[in-house]
Amino acid sequence: MKNKLEYASLKKIFNNLLYLRLFEKILSEEYHPADEMKCPVHFCIGQEGVPSILKFFLKKNDYVFSHHRSHGYFFAKSIPMQKLVSELYGKKFGANYGFAGSQDVSYPKKKFYAGAILGGSIGIAVGKALDEKLKKSRNIVIAGFGESACDVGMFWESINYANLKKLPIIFICENNNYSVLSPQKARQSGKKLFQKVSQFSNQNNTISVDGNDVIKMKKVFNNVINKVRNNHGPFFIEAKTYRISGHVGPETDDAQDYRSKAEVNKWKKKCPIKKLEKYLLDNKIINNTYSKNLEHKFKLEIRKMIKFAQKDKFISKINLERANYDFTKFRNKKIKTLRPYNYKINISNKTIVGY
Amino acid sequence: MYLKETTFSHAIQDGLRQSMELDKNVYVFGQLVNYQSGVFGSTTNLVKEFGKDRVQDFPVAESLMTSMSIGLSLEMKKKIVLVHHRIDFMLYSMDAIVNWMSLWKFKSVRDTSLSITIRAIVGKGWGQGPQHSKSFHSWFANLPGIRVAIPSNPYDAKGLLIESIFSKIPTIIIEHRSLYNDSQKIPLEPYRLDFGKANIVRKGKNITIIAIGYLNKLIPGVCDYFKKNYKTEIEHIDIRSLYPLDKKTLIRSAKKTKKVLVLDPSWKSYGASGEIVAIIKETLKDEKLFIDRLCYPDSHTPMSQALEEKYYLNENDIITKIKGMIKK
Repeated sequence: MKNKLEYASLKKIFNNLLYLRLFEKILSEEYHPADEMKCPVHFCIGQEGVPSILKFFLKKNDYVFSHHRSHGYFFAKSIPMQKLVSELYGKKFGANYGFAGSQDVSYPKKKFYAGAILGGSIGIAVGKALDEKLKKSRNIVIAGFGESACDVGMFWESINYANLKKLPIIFICENNNYSVLSPQKARQSGKKLFQKVSQFSNQNNTISVDGNDVIKMKKVFNNVINKVRNNHGPFFIEAKTYRISGHVGPETDDAQDYRSKAEVNKWKKKCPIKKLEKYLLDNKIINNTYSKNLEHKFKLEIRKMIKFAQKDKFISKINLERANYDFTKFRNKKIKTLRPYNYKINISNKTIVGY
Repeated sequence: MYLKETTFSHAIQDGLRQSMELDKNVYVFGQLVNYQSGVFGSTTNLVKEFGKDRVQDFPVAESLMTSMSIGLSLEMKKKIVLVHHRIDFMLYSMDAIVNWMSLWKFKSVRDTSLSITIRAIVGKGWGQGPQHSKSFHSWFANLPGIRVAIPSNPYDAKGLLIESIFSKIPTIIIEHRSLYNDSQKIPLEPYRLDFGKANIVRKGKNITIIAIGYLNKLIPGVCDYFKKNYKTEIEHIDIRSLYPLDKKTLIRSAKKTKKVLVLDPSWKSYGASGEIVAIIKETLKDEKLFIDRLCYPDSHTPMSQALEEKYYLNENDIITKIKGMIKK
């Protein structure tokens, strides 16, 4: 019985993985030469593991804060993917009506936010976690980022504070080893990331996992999410993975000579989808035609979304200056609104000394 | 309305205390806000009344503090007040303010806005020197999505603070520390003052003085001097908020007097004074209009008292300038 449940879960996660891979693949094929998505896009081909597992575990009221490689996390919050596709095209139906694009997309209704400045969204996530703690809720907050964000001071400030206040947050570092082209060892000193982060707490609250081994990751995430939901305090997960796509756009950036063909091929062999598919086939959870049928179904769905986005309109009437401000106010009957008034001021010449 | 003589710092404390009393979702964060000294008296005793959850001391991590305020106010319930002992320290939060907070409403369009008030203090005197006395109001007024207020008296300090706490636009309130001991009779009850309304402190028909922040303190003396000695009536306008700016009042006054002096307690180049001059010139296109400005030199603040005196503006600087203007 236990196995049956486990297999059903893994099958669901497999579906997630496959969907995300196809979503990214089809969009990257559609990107050029059509050139209709005039929007920088950071594809996550190769890094589908973490988001696919999060999608399985996260609840409606959990928050996700993502870095610029946002599609996986968007998917993890179970937001209609049409909202993302239309946003990439900058159209009206888009999650942010074409104001944000791939790297800055957000969907407040489903508690999802992304942003392109590394490290910045981690601090915001910590604030949300403090909010949840103050409300004594059982919601958790996910801060997703790459190992490059761990170069930034904000990351360490966040780790310190989250541990100090025992906040319900999971820091997920998808370590793909590269900041665009620059490898981790050229940027970071000392021990491994999860070892360094572990110094901020006496609890055993950091772990490093193979980000492409979905079966192992599922166990880790299950355990960690349960703990954090039950007032354990923060957790740091380093998931080692690899970006098969280039840093940005559909083109490969391998001509930059920053990684070897052998390295890319090695990771292609470690594909999270193939690995799980083999496991499911070996255990006869799925049959030989399962993936193909699913692929066919997903492809149709995704192409339909692209067509919808292409036909959708841009927002045309907008007062840009007003769009930056919310002029509504919190009303409170006990506070009067007064006008400027020139009461006499008694000026003090005393200098204020001290800190 | 019952009025009570109140210092600038106590007016702020009053505004915070009353806001927290009226709404349990008002939170104050900042280094040392929960100690008796209470950031020059402006947060004293709040922790006793509202507890450590709502009045929180913070690590020396300005950057994180500001970022966190965004997360805290995301659900549009909590209203966050951040306190920085010096605006210079606050610059660690530039990323949070510029790259995230200011554009949050914009990029999520109709769906979220932030209720965050940042109180940033500008030092002056007693050797505050180059890292404790800079005033960056024009930097932040330049940024879409943020409001900037710069109160010059206890009445404005309390009213603008309460207005900001109960609004949905991130606001930076710049407080000149040299105003903290000034006192005034102000209403005891809570009240809010609209942004974007300049205060015509004194009416006049010959010359307009537009002043920002603590420099307003110097103007009544200057006005009296010219009324007595030159029979010149000066119109004194306190700008109160830099963004939104009360363009109408400024332009109306300039149209009337045709002679305008803008006083800005910051560097001259690329600053607020330049913006105000441009707005008036662009709108009036009047050849007879004479407009000038007085600001700090484009230099960092020296420490010693002798050099400080050279750096800051005083009444005599303004009087000399206006004497020149009268002849024009």
